[in-house]
Amino acid sequence: MEPSSTSPASLALSAARSYGAALRVRTGVRDEPPLAKAPAAPPAAARTQPPRVCAKTVMDDSDPDIVFDADGVSNWWHDYQAAKAKRPDADRQAALLDATLTEVREHGRGKPYDCVLGVSGGVDSSYVAYLARQHGLRPLLVHFDNGWNDELAVHNIEKIVKTCGYRLHTFVMDWPEFRDLQRAYFKAGVLDLEVPTDHMIFGALHQVARRHGIGYVLTGTNFATEWLLPRAWHYSKRDLVNLQAIHRTHGETPMKRLPKIGVWQQLWYQRVQRIREVDILDLVPYRKTDAMRTLEREFGWTYYGGKHYESVFTRFYQGWILPMRFGIDKRRAHLSNLILNGELTRDEALAELAQPTYDPRQQMLDKQYVAKKLGWSAAEFDEILARPRTAHAAFGTDARQRKLAELAIRTLHPLARLVRGTARK
Amino acid sequence: MIRVRVIPVLLLGRGGMVKTKRFADPQYLGDPINAVRIFNEKQADELVILDIEATARGDVDFERIEDIVSEGFMPIAYGGGIRNTDQCAELFRRGVEKIVVNTALAESPQLVSDAAARFGSQSVVASIDVKPNLFRQPRAHTHGGRKATRYTPVELARTAVALGAGEIMLTAMTREGTFAGYDTALLAAVTEAVDVPVIANGGAGRIAHFVDAVVDGGCSAVAAGSLFVFAGKDAGVLITYPSEAELAEQFWSRIDGTVVH
Repeated sequence: MEPSSTSPASLALSAARSYGAALRVRTGVRDEPPLAKAPAAPPAAARTQPPRVCAKTVMDDSDPDIVFDADGVSNWWHDYQAAKAKRPDADRQAALLDATLTEVREHGRGKPYDCVLGVSGGVDSSYVAYLARQHGLRPLLVHFDNGWNDELAVHNIEKIVKTCGYRLHTFVMDWPEFRDLQRAYFKAGVLDLEVPTDHMIFGALHQVARRHGIGYVLTGTNFATEWLLPRAWHYSKRDLVNLQAIHRTHGETPMKRLPKIGVWQQLWYQRVQRIREVDILDLVPYRKTDAMRTLEREFGWTYYGGKHYESVFTRFYQGWILPMRFGIDKRRAHLSNLILNGELTRDEALAELAQPTYDPRQQMLDKQYVAKKLGWSAAEFDEILARPRTAHAAFGTDARQRKLAELAIRTLHPLARLVRGTARK
Repeated sequence: MIRVRVIPVLLLGRGGMVKTKRFADPQYLGDPINAVRIFNEKQADELVILDIEATARGDVDFERIEDIVSEGFMPIAYGGGIRNTDQCAELFRRGVEKIVVNTALAESPQLVSDAAARFGSQSVVASIDVKPNLFRQPRAHTHGGRKATRYTPVELARTAVALGAGEIMLTAMTREGTFAGYDTALLAAVTEAVDVPVIANGGAGRIAHFVDAVVDGGCSAVAAGSLFVFAGKDAGVLITYPSEAELAEQFWSRIDGTVVH
């Protein structure tokens, strides 16, 4: 264990720790990001020219879609200014928060819970729990156990549960099934190995909400620290068609118990069951540094410094697989976002990037552990990691389903409103 | 201050880790490899891992046990389906420190004495599961609590010690998974009858119960399952283990002056 650290430069490493990051992709079939392209950037080692780095952030051309202006400033800086201008100001934020809290409380009147809150033990979701307590909400905490929890995660969740007295529901994945799905993603050679986890979290939260008749899911998704993510660095977490195709091709055991969730089921939850996601961190001034201090003070929450991640798998994926196999250092996006949020200087970020993603000895230990957990020998794992890369889209996507769903919404929505209007009369 | 051992008991079943209540209704808890890893980081004193399906299945899953055991640096005891000393040797080779016998105590006592003779008493734990019979008399049970023996817990404990067991783990079946506290009368009866260390098990719901097991039950160590795998009674699955400071303050400082084996 390392002493807790609040060095701003190290904070960004934890950005992917939260379920918020997992749920980055927006709600609703309309807002799905464009399909991820095949990763175009070669591994760093294969470069002949030095990478070109943005003059304001630390994004570089390992993002294949990056564009620089005449001053060497990337599109990310410009896009951020534009996006930021559209964000509600402090007064508007406060009003929105107020309205949302009233809605959530109203909905929960007479029920044991008024919202569902996914907790991972990371900064973002822990801070959502803190906000819920601040504002007197009555959340049902849901923790998703996919078999990769780090001690840090369970420690922090324990602190939150004990301090707030909230009820915890753990959604335990069927490990043999989940492992088979993760193995399939490795064998497929696709980029986003976090899809199995993030997809199932999304499904699990909605399943739990529906089962308890809860209408709101509080997320840790936030503009302040997670806005920046190149589309070539990840894939949609909600594309069940793609997930099932990968599993069909490379899986070995049937998927029966995992909480998978397709386009139609999403529609059902959102439109019929009226389960809504609230990105509550976007309704408050959110800064990672301040949030962590608050959590340490209020919950006895622990941050282990930038070198730990709450899931061994995420740590190894972001710290080893992405850089080594895909030439992607996700810290660039996290650190750039913190620069844009005014929490970090560019020099601090560059200094952080000059360090290894995390302790190389730990990387090798993690590699052994990941191989063992997934049921591969060291040699088998190396062979699988050396297989050619394949674009997600090569397995087929849910694009057609989403188009149909859009059409259905456009057709049925006015009809439903009409029916509801008549019913009211 | 005497430092009494606090031992999580993990049950293997349904292809993973489970937790039962009164020896029934196994609830799936996920992958034991990661659980042991977390207990290791939390610096648990010892672990007991019991495969509750092994006796019925009739074998010991050595590879699985090795994968699990290799995640913990603490002493780990394994029980379930052990029938001969070669299996014990194989378990020790794969990193297990103690073997736990239960069904063998009643059905093949020879195994217990052979194991004690071959590997030493310190590596043999006799696990005695106790439930009252129709006449409310406590009786030792085997086969994961499914089969009653004619022995009282005291009789079987004495037999186990005579065969060479170096430690006894005593489980109150009706308390197991209930968070209601140990059966201290049962513990006291056995600790008075034998002079090997007795591990209390079944019913621990909070640290105060550990104190009862030592002060009223005379035990030398305490074990618990649900307490360490749930965030509380009727709550979600979450691996927990009290910190050294919590144990010192709420447990060890309160048993000073109590005789411990």
